[in-house]
Amino acid sequence: MNSRREFLKLAMAGSTAAVAAPAAASAQAKPKRWGMLVDLRKCIGCQACTVACTIENDVPEGQHRTAVPVYELDGPNGPSQAVLPRLCNHCDEPPCIPVCPVNATFKTEEGAVVVDAEQCVACGYCVQACPYEARFINHKTGVADKCTFCVHRTSVGLLPACVETCVGNARVFGDLNDPESEIRKLMAQHETKGLRPEFKTGPNVYYIGLDDRLASTVAVGGGARDLRQGLETSAHGEV
Amino acid sequence: MTISRRGVLQGATALGAAGAAFWGFAETGKNFYQGVMGTAQAKGIAGGALPPEYKVDPATGEVILNPDQRVGYTMCMGCTSVCGIRVRVDKASGDILRATGNPYSPLSTNPHIPYDTPIKEAITGLSAYGEQGLAGRSTACGRGNAAIAKQNSKERILKPMKRVGERGSGQWKEISWDQLIEETVEGGDLFGEGPVEGLRAIRDLKTPLDPENPEYGPKANQLVVIPVFKNGRLMMAARFAKMAYGTRNFVGHRSYCGLSMRAGYAAMLDNLKKQPHLKPDYRHAKYMLFIGTAPGNAGNPYKLQGTLMGAARGRDGVKYAVVDPVLTNSQNHAFGKDNTWVPIRPGTDGALVMGMIRWIMENERYDAKFLAQPSGAAAQTAGEASWSNATHLVIDDPEHPKGGSFLRQGMVTADLEEDAQKAPMCLDAQTGELSPAKGRPATLFHQGTVRLLDGSTVPVATSLSLLRREALRKTLAEYSADCGVSEERIISLARDFTSVGKQAAADCHGGTMHAAGFYTAYAIVMLNALVGNLNAKGGTTAGGGRFKDVQKGPRYNLLAFPGKVKVKGVDAGRGGFAYEKTSEFNRLIADGKSPYPAQAPWHSFTQPMGAQWLTSVLEGYPYKAKAVITWSSNPVYGVAGMENDVKEKIKDTKRLPLFIAIDPFINETSRFADYIVPDRVFYEAWGWASAWGGVPTKVSTARWPVVDCQTGKTPDGRHMDMDNFFIDVAKRMELPGFGEKAIPDADGNLHPLHRSEDFWMRAGANVAFDGGAVPESDDTDMTITGVDRIRADLESTLKPDEWRRVAYVYNRGGRYEDAVKTYKGETFARSYKKGIQIWNETVGMARNSMTGKKFVGCPTWQAPSFADGTKVDKAFPPDLWPFRVVSTKSQLRSSSTGGNPYLDDLKLSNAIAINTVDADQLSIKTGDWITVISPSNRISGQAFVRHGIARGAIGIEHGYGHRELGARTHKIGKVILEGHSNRGLGTNSNDLGYTDPTSKRPALLADPVVGSIARQALPARIEKMG
Repeated sequence: MNSRREFLKLAMAGSTAAVAAPAAASAQAKPKRWGMLVDLRKCIGCQACTVACTIENDVPEGQHRTAVPVYELDGPNGPSQAVLPRLCNHCDEPPCIPVCPVNATFKTEEGAVVVDAEQCVACGYCVQACPYEARFINHKTGVADKCTFCVHRTSVGLLPACVETCVGNARVFGDLNDPESEIRKLMAQHETKGLRPEFKTGPNVYYIGLDDRLASTVAVGGGARDLRQGLETSAHGEV
Repeated sequence: MTISRRGVLQGATALGAAGAAFWGFAETGKNFYQGVMGTAQAKGIAGGALPPEYKVDPATGEVILNPDQRVGYTMCMGCTSVCGIRVRVDKASGDILRATGNPYSPLSTNPHIPYDTPIKEAITGLSAYGEQGLAGRSTACGRGNAAIAKQNSKERILKPMKRVGERGSGQWKEISWDQLIEETVEGGDLFGEGPVEGLRAIRDLKTPLDPENPEYGPKANQLVVIPVFKNGRLMMAARFAKMAYGTRNFVGHRSYCGLSMRAGYAAMLDNLKKQPHLKPDYRHAKYMLFIGTAPGNAGNPYKLQGTLMGAARGRDGVKYAVVDPVLTNSQNHAFGKDNTWVPIRPGTDGALVMGMIRWIMENERYDAKFLAQPSGAAAQTAGEASWSNATHLVIDDPEHPKGGSFLRQGMVTADLEEDAQKAPMCLDAQTGELSPAKGRPATLFHQGTVRLLDGSTVPVATSLSLLRREALRKTLAEYSADCGVSEERIISLARDFTSVGKQAAADCHGGTMHAAGFYTAYAIVMLNALVGNLNAKGGTTAGGGRFKDVQKGPRYNLLAFPGKVKVKGVDAGRGGFAYEKTSEFNRLIADGKSPYPAQAPWHSFTQPMGAQWLTSVLEGYPYKAKAVITWSSNPVYGVAGMENDVKEKIKDTKRLPLFIAIDPFINETSRFADYIVPDRVFYEAWGWASAWGGVPTKVSTARWPVVDCQTGKTPDGRHMDMDNFFIDVAKRMELPGFGEKAIPDADGNLHPLHRSEDFWMRAGANVAFDGGAVPESDDTDMTITGVDRIRADLESTLKPDEWRRVAYVYNRGGRYEDAVKTYKGETFARSYKKGIQIWNETVGMARNSMTGKKFVGCPTWQAPSFADGTKVDKAFPPDLWPFRVVSTKSQLRSSSTGGNPYLDDLKLSNAIAINTVDADQLSIKTGDWITVISPSNRISGQAFVRHGIARGAIGIEHGYGHRELGARTHKIGKVILEGHSNRGLGTNSNDLGYTDPTSKRPALLADPVVGSIARQALPARIEKMG
């Protein structure tokens, strides 16, 4: 275990400062701005991302940084199966950040919303502030936890674990500041949507083929649970 | 507040409040989890994340490896798709950190990288450098990711075990390897219950096992070996069981997996012995029809089909429909109107398809140009990629001795050479004259008479006329009434399928495993023939095959050796042997008695019926076994109705004197064993596998120990496993093909077989040299991939010009033909040559062993029936048995995944799915406890009420309801291996299976024609509990 951590420090040495410091502290010219696009037409709901993330990030049992719920909706030809990979949206206006009393959570220069576990006091405010249910208090570490866009991998030239193992090639990760990036090209070709636009969080996870019934209803206290109970929606519930 | 497990995950959520907490799984899973991963701490912003295995210079793309880790390429066995994977290992602990795809493997990457890509370059190609890793990504599925938990599981069997007390009692003691070999070979009073014959005594290749029925073969056939599927290690077991020991009873799991589909394709593809099958060309098809198969949700290769379905949904101009009683992830909401779910009454897909064929015939929507070509030569002239026997004339009189066979030239013309005599006859399209099938088109439809040489006149009809006759036997309205799909929907499916030329494809699989399975599958795959899509780009492909491995290759022949036995006799499951050839049949005839019905069904043209073996040998018909060896197989769990039938009989040592199981875990079958032999899990094992289907280029996937094997060691230092058990048994018995001088090389020199490496590395030499030798690996690449760990064995086992080439192959996790070789113009480069059988003569001449009636030789609609033809619906009428149960395949579970903590975390139990309307009538809501009652048994679970299941169907996801794999406590000596009740949650629909009531001796319900076990469309009724 020691040796593994040593390499982590080593591997991140070049970019750790830039990544770990609040964005304002950096002076780089054209920083990357990470985003993710999920082409829902290609997702098969296999949960490879879910399991890979759990293993890669040592997420405790019963908790998930990403997962793919499956819903049954009314489709043009009868009941229809909808998948919706969910993760932190790494928002432009993240409601989780201002509520942190100790500045443990912040946005990296590359746009990932992260938590410094050594600063976090586990008050849970950020967990409650997130309209996407993307945060939780990690059972093992006792501090706030969430998707980091696999900062430990993306900072050394690799892809997030969920993207690497996406069987349908549905998850596309890239630089939103680069008009030539795959994600930007796909966004130019297709209509994309984010989740819960009414919260005006500026999510940086985009979806191709997102049904509005899921976009606006899947959320704390309302969405997922209401869907299951068949309330206020024509969706049939999770499968 | 946390992301609740129930809030985000599929399936388990449907169970409502009685979910995770209720079953109290958390603590157990956590312990397991820690066992796998060790304790990690959150640190800084990366939390407990694993250190990366390498980093990539953003400017140059240069790879800088993490010296503490290695990444090796091997083969996954999370399910049966045997994908290539890359396994990341912590060097210090030897633990697997994570697994995902091998970029060289076409089963994991679309398209896979060129084979000569340098190892480091391949790594760059997976990274964010230049965004290469997006298009070039190589994946593992959820199950493949999760499977790493197997290796360190506390439930692994690492030493040989012998039962204490009665079979199935769960009491064991560890024994030494030498004791294991001695007792299993020599027998004796092994359990204090009287003498038991050992393997040595049973191997008698001369004495008939039953003098009354000499065709059953020698006593050696009373060793029955039930292995796992074609997992890449099968040939070592086959070498022992068939070639050296000499039992004919060695076969895989096909008869309870997907035999109906395989037999349907086999009948069409004119190879009932090898049972080839087709897959749609997902990359270029414009219309796809899936019936009883759910690509992207299940099937084989599961992951590749998922990738290709995703890609297809991203293309313009693609449409598809999924006909299935249950809505699954094959259908995708975001893809919109271009994919349709067609709910259907279980077991009736055959009616729908024959309705489609009727409409296609009546509206002449078939590809007449393709169908008119009576031979390969004619097809070539006409520019067709395949040909069929649509125009061949069949003797259309079931009572005629040659009824069901083709009219051959020798029957109508005298004094011909032998080849010419065999030529099938047709009517020349231009002249209308009776002529042998040659290089010119022939008449599609004809019914008439022909005068034979003996002066008699026989009715004849073309194959296509017979298919049309079968299709027209019922009206569209009748077909619609039978399957519950509207006439309009049947017509629209037929229209869509015949609207895009050869770029349409139909496929089926396990959904056809019901008591009408064969004709259903034959009908579905026949749709492909009607549009002439075989070998066409955008049509169907039989796959690209594999590089030679164990078979006679450029370096070694691992299937031939001095003294090799040729097996003889009748299969213990009565498969592949005509009842009419048995002594029993002839005795009845001689006694003037009716030979029909047989005591239990025989199936003349199918494969050996492994699924019936335990049932038959415990019953003693056709004969008893003296010893059974299972290897990583679990028929008691996996075969519908098996557990009910055998669970008491299998404990009776008079019915079965010796039972040895080879398995890394204790499953529902090995629980009854007398001995359990430890085995490697797949990350530790040797072998060579290929793609099961769907890959149009050559594939040979390597399996080699990317981590150290955990099993105990033999006295001479080898790891205990299947290979070494068979090797040591064979050597003690002095069987041919083992020990010194066992493996011939290409020059005829004989090499030894003392350990796994002797066999599998030499198979690797064949792979490395087949069709041109691969380059030699340098030392650096071996270090990167961890192949340096097996370098000493490679050097000492192989020849100087071989070992570095084999290392080159292991470095890449196998050998893979480049993707650019997929097509040649508008056809597949590797095409299937035999003709499509619109009418299959072997089928059309075979008889039902219960009724003596001949089978129809082309697709037809027969509702699910017992062996004697009685309809299941007649015996179990829908007014009393309103439901039909289907086993639906899981995206995450296999029969062998029980107890995987990552998978348990996602969905610990299945539920019993029923349609909303049905549920309303029974006042059942999601979460209610209900009991499902079948003719044989009852199971209870929680209801899952949904729109996405057909009326009258009950859907049960496979892989749950385990009684072992950690669900039950075992005692090994003084050690308690504690069982966990939460491991056995959910239900197994196979518990509802039953024996055929029309069979005098017990036989599990099966398709009447080929004997594939019926796990689908089981009659049932539902009672609400409490």
